[in-house]
Parts: sequence; C-alpha cells; structure tokens
Amino acid sequence: MSAPVHIVLLYQSLLGIYGDQGNARVLQRRLEWRDIPSRLTVVEPGDPVPDDAQVYLLGGGEDNAQVSAVRALQADGGLHRAVDRGAAVLAVCAGYQIAGRTFTIGDDDTVIDGLGLLDVTTTRAPERAVGEILTKWIGHDGDEAWLTGFENHGGHTRLAPGVTPLARVEIGVGNCGDGTEGAISGKVIGTYPHGPVLARNPALADHVLSLGLDQELAPLERPEIDQLRSERIAAVRASR
Amino acid sequence: MKLDPSALAKLLAGRRIAMVSGTNGKTTTTHLLNAAIRTWADRHAPGVGVVTNADGANLHHGIASALSAAPDADIAVLETDERVVADVVRLGHPEVLVMLNFSRDQLDRNHEIKRLARMWREALRTAGADGPVVVANADEPLIVWACRDARQVVWVDTGSTWTADASLCPECGAVLHRSDDGRWSCPACGLAEPDATWQVVGGSITGPDGTTYEPQLQLPGRFNLANAACALAAAVEFGVDTDSALTGMATVTAPAGRFATVTFGDTTARLLLAKNPAGWAEALPLAATPTVVLAIDAAAADGRDVSWLWDVDYEQLQGRTVIATGPRAQDLAVRLSYAGVEHRVVPDLLAALQGHREPVDVVATYTPFQRLRKAAGI
Repeated sequence: MSAPVHIVLLYQSLLGIYGDQGNARVLQRRLEWRDIPSRLTVVEPGDPVPDDAQVYLLGGGEDNAQVSAVRALQADGGLHRAVDRGAAVLAVCAGYQIAGRTFTIGDDDTVIDGLGLLDVTTTRAPERAVGEILTKWIGHDGDEAWLTGFENHGGHTRLAPGVTPLARVEIGVGNCGDGTEGAISGKVIGTYPHGPVLARNPALADHVLSLGLDQELAPLERPEIDQLRSERIAAVRASR
Repeated sequence: MKLDPSALAKLLAGRRIAMVSGTNGKTTTTHLLNAAIRTWADRHAPGVGVVTNADGANLHHGIASALSAAPDADIAVLETDERVVADVVRLGHPEVLVMLNFSRDQLDRNHEIKRLARMWREALRTAGADGPVVVANADEPLIVWACRDARQVVWVDTGSTWTADASLCPECGAVLHRSDDGRWSCPACGLAEPDATWQVVGGSITGPDGTTYEPQLQLPGRFNLANAACALAAAVEFGVDTDSALTGMATVTAPAGRFATVTFGDTTARLLLAKNPAGWAEALPLAATPTVVLAIDAAAADGRDVSWLWDVDYEQLQGRTVIATGPRAQDLAVRLSYAGVEHRVVPDLLAALQGHREPVDVVATYTPFQRLRKAAGI
C-alpha cells in the first residue's frame, strides 16, 4: 500500500474565519470513501510547513491575519518548495488574495507583497461583495461544471494577461465584476467562494485531489450532495 | 430602522442603568442580573421599580419599547446589541456595563468583529469620567482591548475556551502567545490578560475578597456559570448584596425560552439556542438525548452564510441519531455526512418534532428557535 496522501491545512488561526477547515475534512473524507489513506497536518505560524505534501489549503481571514500569514509563509519557504515540486494548492478568499502578486489592506490601501503563486493583484473594491455566487467552471461540462458558493470579500482581483480564470460568473461578483472568477496557474487554484467551497462542489474537490496525486479518481455517488447543489443553485437563480 | 436618539435619551433619563452586551449570553446574563437587582430591591429598597427588555429585543426600538412600558421604573437592566452599546453609553450614562465576549457571528453583516470592538472602545473613551464601570471578560483579548480607555474595569476570569477568534493582538497585530494555563499575552506590544478579581473555578465563583460562592443555577453548562459570574460582579458594582444576587439568580429558569422544556404533541423537547460557532461549542455538548434535532436557517437574523457549519464539531454526535431540519437542513445533512454522523432530513420544523417517544434536545439557530418558542407557546 502506498504512503497516505498528505494534506496540509495552513494557519487555521489566521485563515479560517469561514469554516475553511471544512475543505480539509472534505478532501480527507472523499479519499476515505475511496479507501485511500490520508493524513492531515495542521500548521500554525511558527511551525515548519512540510514541503512533502500533495495538497495545501489556504482559507479566509481579516486584513491583519493576511499580513501575518504571508510573512510567515515567505519566511518559512516550505509552501513554495512544495509548489515547485508539483503540489496542488487551493487558496480561498483571503488565501486567494495572498497567493497573488500583491494585495492591499486598510483604508489607506497599504500594498503588501503576496506569495506570487498566482499572477494576480488585488486592490480595495468600491463595494464589498457579499452573497451567494454561481459560476461555470471553464473547461468542464455538465452539472458538475456549476460551482456554487458564498462570497464575502472587499477586494477586487485582476488577472495578468494570459492568466486563466477558474470560472465565468453567472450570478455574483467574483474577481472584480469583469465576469471572471478565480485563477489557475499550474496546480495552484485561487477562488473567492469561501469556507467549505469543496463541500458544495465535489467535482472541484476531486479535481484538487487528482492534481495533487497526478491521477484520476473513481467517481463517488453522494445523493445528499447532489440534493444540496440543486437546492443552492435553484435558490441563487430565484434570488436574481 | 433607527429611533430618534432624543426619544431614547428621554426614556433613559433619570434611571439607574445596568447594561449587558457581547456576542453570546446576553439574554441569559440580563435575566440573571435583573433577577439579582429585583431581589435586592424587594428586600432593601421597597418601592424601587426595575424594568428590563426580557425577550431579547435589544436594538434601539426594543429597548425603547421596554422603557416606555415602565415610565416609573427607577432601574433599567438592558440587554444591548453590540451595535447599540455606544448609543446607550452616550445617551443613558449607565452605571455598569457587562462585556461578555466577542466572536465571529453573522459575518455576512459584521465583516470584522474588530470594528465593533473599536466602537465600544471609542464610546468608553468619549464617556471618560462619566462612563460606566465595565465588568469585562479578561479571557478575551478583543474585550480587554476595547476596555483600555474605560474609567474603571472589574475583570472576570470566565475560563472561556473559545479562542478561534483571538489569534492576533488587537493592538498591534502580532500573533498572541498563550501559556500552558491558558493566559494570553502579546510578545510585541505587551497587551496581556489582566489579573481578574472575579473567577470561575470549577463549579463555583470566587469574589474579590477570596469568598467562594456556589450559585444554585437552574441553567446548565459551564457557559452559564460564566454568565452568572459576570452578573454577580455587575450586581455587586450596582450596590446589590451577594445574598440577594445569588437568591435572585437561582430563580432564573428559561431566559426567553433558552433551555426551556416544552411539548409538541407527544414529544417532550428541550430548546437550546446556538447562533454561531462559539455558541454551538457550548450548546452542542449539552444536547444529551439519544436523538437530537438540529434546526438550521440562514435568514437575516441567522446570518445568510452557513459556512460556519464547518467550524462546529458535529463529529461529537457520532453514534447518535440526528434529525436535520429547517430551511438549510440539507447543508447540515452534507456536513453530517462528512462528519460520519447518522442522520435524516425532515425539512419541516414542526414535523421534525413529532412522534418522539423519548425526550429530545433541540439545538436551533435564531429564527427556528423563535418559531419553536411560538409554536410551544412560551
């Protein structure tokens, strides 16, 4: 039997305000449902970031937490080594912003250097984006291509020319109101729908796992998740 | 809708005021403090009237409507929403303000909890020498930060266990240090947990002079003991003797329906309210029945985003039977599947409570909790 799949949840205390640890639970359980062993390392600032894992998770947090997180990750270097080695990263909300080139904090728009894993920049938006969001995953078809979630962010993220968005917005704001949502570079995915976005989007969860494992995974039948997806997609469409 | 401030100022004028705020425990603590003050007034100050907003209506209008119904009451014990604290401090010149805790709640509306703390700090600074004595939870960095400019603070060590919203120093942003005994301090700017004069120790409360009190509460859980410690400290600051306070607090049974045991047809149910991850962390361990009903909604009063479901340790329900109900039951069902908890979904709230032979504990978010109270006639 091969070594357990290693998942790293980064800085829950700083980047975990919207139930972001849920993504780690979802990934682990989806592996377990397929009888694939896994282990989770929860890393807090000051702890070394292991560079041998297959999947890294970054979640949502407030301005000061973003700054502390980006500084600690830069000082540690483990995440960058892992990405160079071919690990997958899912960066959500504030985690997406810090994965970019720069982001700003505070009313005076102080510019902070990000991790540079995605060629995107974030600035303060004129208006906060809060609400259910529905997007269509680029390059995917069928029911699984609909990505459903809840966004709550005060930043506008712009993609450098040539950077691929994750999805096209049907309802909601996404990156900056230009119709794009999220960004992909290699095996790094950034997205705004926050918290346990993988709970509502199992195909995206399996995609993150297959990126990290370099292999496709057998499909899983989970009717309760299909039911939740239809409810949420119908609700957000009805609210438009 | 905001009430004309001068109308609220008039209603507050000429009364002795004690107020209670914080994310969780406001209603219960207000009931405890009200009972303490009322018992003292009955015994030692006959003819002194006490008014309170007992039903949890804690915004401008709720407070105004309680006060206008009791124009002659000399004392007002007011549960105050976090967003209204600054106005009541400014307009009502309260003698005592209880600050219980600050944690993530309704993030779709309150994007940063620090913003609320900043408003409190500013209100207390502006009030200056005219400000209230603050009875505050020393375990919470954001509360301690908000009290820095208060005229006088009485610190209570409540033994809080929820630390997920207090990783960074509110003053300078550095990562806080926590010692083995749970005390917090900032390695960068020196902000640190103050020494408390009141303490929750085990099942009792220790006062400033070292006296230990054993409150005979009818409310369950460690969290309510913490609420009682804050209410007792506030009562003493208000001039109430501890015997009256403890006697009064022991009469409180089901503040605004919380912890009430009610019947729906043949089913006996105990109602527990949980509004946010910190609240669930306290309420869920109290749910002890073999079948547990969990009611979830995402109306405005619940917070429209249910991401918080993933911050609650539902894994502790493994081996029990869970009935998921309410408009967002399906979100809970998915959460429970991932938690490995057996469950069934009964979307209709009242249908979920039908036909249980054994008593059930119900944990509900705000909107379904109020619907259950109404349905049970309490």
